[in-house]
Amino acid sequence: MPALEVSSLAKRYGRVHALRGVTFAVEPGEIFGYLGPNGAGKTTTLRILLGLVRADHGTACLLGEPPGRPASRGRVGCLPGELRLHGGMTGRALLDHFARFRPSRPPVLRERLLEALDLGESDLARRVKWLSHGTRQKVGLVIAMQHDPDVILFDEPTIGLDPLVQRAFCDLVRELAARGRAILFSSHILSEVEAVCGRVAVLRAGELLAVESIETLRARLVRRLEAHFRGPTPDGLATLPGVMRAEVAGSAATLWLQGDVNPLLRRLAGCEVEHLVFPEPQLEDVFLDFYRGREGRG
Amino acid sequence: MRNLLRLLLTRHAVYVLVSGLLLGGFQWLICAVVASTDVTGALGTLVQSLPPMVQSMVSEQFFGGFSKTSLLAFGWAHPVAQAVGAALAIVLATQAVAGESEAGTIELTLGQPIARQTYLAAHVVFTLAALVFVTLLGLAGTIAGGRFYGLEPFRLVALARLGLDYLALQAALFGLTLMFSAFGREGGRVALFGFLCALVSYLIHVIGTMWDGWRPLVPYTLHAYYVPKDILAGSVGVTRPVAMLLAVALGGLLVAWWRFRQRDLP
Repeated sequence: MPALEVSSLAKRYGRVHALRGVTFAVEPGEIFGYLGPNGAGKTTTLRILLGLVRADHGTACLLGEPPGRPASRGRVGCLPGELRLHGGMTGRALLDHFARFRPSRPPVLRERLLEALDLGESDLARRVKWLSHGTRQKVGLVIAMQHDPDVILFDEPTIGLDPLVQRAFCDLVRELAARGRAILFSSHILSEVEAVCGRVAVLRAGELLAVESIETLRARLVRRLEAHFRGPTPDGLATLPGVMRAEVAGSAATLWLQGDVNPLLRRLAGCEVEHLVFPEPQLEDVFLDFYRGREGRG
Repeated sequence: MRNLLRLLLTRHAVYVLVSGLLLGGFQWLICAVVASTDVTGALGTLVQSLPPMVQSMVSEQFFGGFSKTSLLAFGWAHPVAQAVGAALAIVLATQAVAGESEAGTIELTLGQPIARQTYLAAHVVFTLAALVFVTLLGLAGTIAGGRFYGLEPFRLVALARLGLDYLALQAALFGLTLMFSAFGREGGRVALFGFLCALVSYLIHVIGTMWDGWRPLVPYTLHAYYVPKDILAGSVGVTRPVAMLLAVALGGLLVAWWRFRQRDLP
């Protein structure tokens, strides 16, 4: 049985379609990426799963139960995308407050999480309103995971975290998944989804474009390469295998690549290259391929 | 529910305590004023200098003849006493749904294993307990002030009835504001509606008791059922006014509950 499942989920806010027939399932032990730009409908999906928002159509199921049942939320941990905490409480008081909601599931992971996320006693002793954004986010992550939930819903979990803590957080997520926990990892940052998730759902304007493995997504990803040459840009770059598109401006060329990059690298090896920039793939690069595919089908 | 009550107590304890001390202190002050000066004589002289129609309005509608009892009751009908309770009721009702939605804290709270009815019930229980506490401190101010300044004591039953009526008025304001809160997303706007309800009811009541043109409107105000002078003097029963105010409170709570159950959050 999937740990969480949504089927034909649709939601409208007035004239805006937040979700249009979204269907996917997350199995125990899986880290499922939920990828989409801001306003794609990711947060709405998570809120429906938590019973905060009611779907207009379709069904959602969390640990075999419909959303909104307090009992099922006892086995769930969540981190909202716009995390707001009671600022007047200390970090420690807040962790205790949220732990008390689940008397049958004590915060067994708390100390482990505090150590991994580098949250010290001095941070926890301060009122939350005086903490930095990143530290508040860490407190939110501990709240979400401290009771070792069976399902964890993360909405943009790494916002505000420094790179070292982001890495520690990703390790924690992998560790929890290895112990059979199901994790829905919603993000608009392709690289972090690529780094931790096994499968990914790609969402845009409330519509699910694809649900596929991270390998498949990576293979169809259109990556951008900027090459600056000493002298004029060599001819024939656009016709090389794997090069989808090329833009040349003087001694610089921007190339969009898909699949094997070796034919291009071999060609560049014979040129006088000033420098190469292979920027972090952006979410737009994923959509580029999906749109191309659709146009092709159309 | 206990966990939520503990959270509410942590967050609002100071405000509730200050409100209670303000009300109790104000009632003590009224006792001091009544005992230390010849207020009735002074006001009587003042009123005699007014035109006959105004004399009649002021003495009958506000002070009921300037007895010490009516002056002490005036302490409970005074806008300050009403504002203390109303502010507490309106602020806590605003915070319950719209305030927490606006602040964004409701999302994480309701992501925990608690039902919406438990969440709303915790806010209702806490606010009613806070209002009882504030009312008791107010009554304590009247009793202690009266004893300290050697004023003729009221019967405890009469004071209990007065407290019940005061509590019912604030409960009605709480119920109405909670209803707005359950529909709203902006705390400021909800609080404004709550305060407008209280203000409009108060003004219509005051003007209606002075001017025949608005008299028919008086029974439709909340403040028509808050009658501290009549309760202390024993000239009216407390059952009908309290029942009317509690009916409004209950109506507001039921509509709030109906809306809160089905609305999207935050």
